[in-house]
Amino acid sequence: MLRAAEVAESAGLPSVTIVASGFLKQADLIMRGMGRSLPVAEYPGVPMVDSEAVFSSKVEHHLLPAIIAGLARKSLAPVPPASTEPEPGSEVFDGTLDQVQQHFHDHLWSDGLPVIPPTRSRVQAFLQCTDRQADEVIAVLPQESRAASILSIAVNGVMAGCRPEYMPLLIAVVEAIADPDFRIEDAGSTPSVEPVIIVSGPIIRDLDLNAGAGVMKIGRQANSSIGRFLRLYLRNICGYRIPPGDGDKGSIGFSFNVAMAENEPWARDIGWPSFGEEMGYGPDESVVTVQCICAISAPTYSSGADALSHARQFVDAMGPFFSYWCYTGVKRGLWHPLLVIGPSIAKVIASEWSKDELRDYLWNNLTMPAGKMEHLAMQTGAEELNFRQLVADGLLPSQYIESNDPKRQVRMVVRPEHIGIVVAGDPGRNQSRAYMPNHIQGPRTSKRIRLPECWTQIRKQLQAGRPSPERA
Amino acid sequence: MQDDNREARYRVLWPLARIDIPAPVAAQGLPDLSGKTVAELWDNIFRGDVAYAQLREHLRARYPGIRFVPFSEFGNIHGPRQRDILDALPGRLREHGVDAVISGIGA
Repeated sequence: MLRAAEVAESAGLPSVTIVASGFLKQADLIMRGMGRSLPVAEYPGVPMVDSEAVFSSKVEHHLLPAIIAGLARKSLAPVPPASTEPEPGSEVFDGTLDQVQQHFHDHLWSDGLPVIPPTRSRVQAFLQCTDRQADEVIAVLPQESRAASILSIAVNGVMAGCRPEYMPLLIAVVEAIADPDFRIEDAGSTPSVEPVIIVSGPIIRDLDLNAGAGVMKIGRQANSSIGRFLRLYLRNICGYRIPPGDGDKGSIGFSFNVAMAENEPWARDIGWPSFGEEMGYGPDESVVTVQCICAISAPTYSSGADALSHARQFVDAMGPFFSYWCYTGVKRGLWHPLLVIGPSIAKVIASEWSKDELRDYLWNNLTMPAGKMEHLAMQTGAEELNFRQLVADGLLPSQYIESNDPKRQVRMVVRPEHIGIVVAGDPGRNQSRAYMPNHIQGPRTSKRIRLPECWTQIRKQLQAGRPSPERA
Repeated sequence: MQDDNREARYRVLWPLARIDIPAPVAAQGLPDLSGKTVAELWDNIFRGDVAYAQLREHLRARYPGIRFVPFSEFGNIHGPRQRDILDALPGRLREHGVDAVISGIGA
């Protein structure tokens, strides 16, 4: 809303933005990122829980005068900087480990967990693992309009507990979230989206990422610290901080995700393309894919020696999980759920079906009554789910309006290719899980990892120093 | 136990990055909306359709000749085509002869 107002202002037209009370702090932060203050008309309270009479009264007595005043303003003042900030790369504190933790905590620079002190020598070790210059800027990121520099990646990588050799991967992660299609500007939304990093290619082995049992649990250094890095980066560079900070409007939220890796040898053995290959890369290319999720399904156990038995169980278990929230994607024509399928299950399915055949089955059978989907859409923010309009706008295929019967079954996933599939987890168990996205926010975005010229040497050192070579 | 007096000290780098904001362009205010054209922008959420209908009536009562370009003319400004819609917005506002903009609802 403010971004639309900013476009109008830049075109020379005065604007006023209607903002509910709960979003005022985020509005302030966005305006700081814009470098100026824009007129805001506050709707006091929560519009979704007011009666019609109360709502009308607030429109007349609060919004109306604020809109008139905002449009009549004489000038717009630039937002004064909160304080004079240090230069990038400057030393800002000198203290013991405990004092460093307290300093970072006081300045909202940590995620509440202890951080590794980003000393110059530690940061330098990270910078030596990339051919790129420390002051290179990948992009200026919302919402604080900070420059996503290579240096900032190194500093936050150190803090997160990453190893220097993760640096090329960390850079690719930031390139992914900086891609305009990723819509990082939405990462502070109330459903609380959390990015998940999916790693593909030889770097899984090089960096000792876990793709096996407990793949999404904290415990393996690479998975854990790389996942933590991204959450820290979203706080420190993008400005998504929960109170006492601002910018992150996640109503309840959940913890950051550790980085996910695919069991690529297994996928290869069963004849399926790897996740990375499905994202358009070669089997020898190291790639990161980042996508946002807002919920994780129950562990889904399935049994049987045929593909259909497992696919049916996916539908039975994941259908109810998806059904409440899928309208958000249907309304926007894009929703990209991710299935993490246990290796033993993938092996059974792959003996009969390709990945695309599994996708088609799920797409055809993950359905729910149209009327129920419309009802659920109204609960969040009085969002009308107008199937006819969405088909007319080209966002939905015509199957959604084959009849007007509210009991007709409509698909939860708009297109089969929107379903992502990763083979990972405990090969000795028959469990899978589904990861649910939040409509168009943070769609799967992949970037190739650019390794430095010295990578072969780094890789040799890594292999020489590794206690057990093939743990995953 | 390590002696606190000999505890290591750390000189740490700033973990944030430089703010890089282009100079904003300021628009002039409109003290009188009589005879002016106001565009409505909406993100299709939070009862904005109801709010805009009521605002139209209140503003018409105060400002003779005021005209509105309804939100339906612009599409969902926070939807799947947000970027295209915002890119095209200056031209669309000019086409409609818009003098001022109301944008909502949220942040």
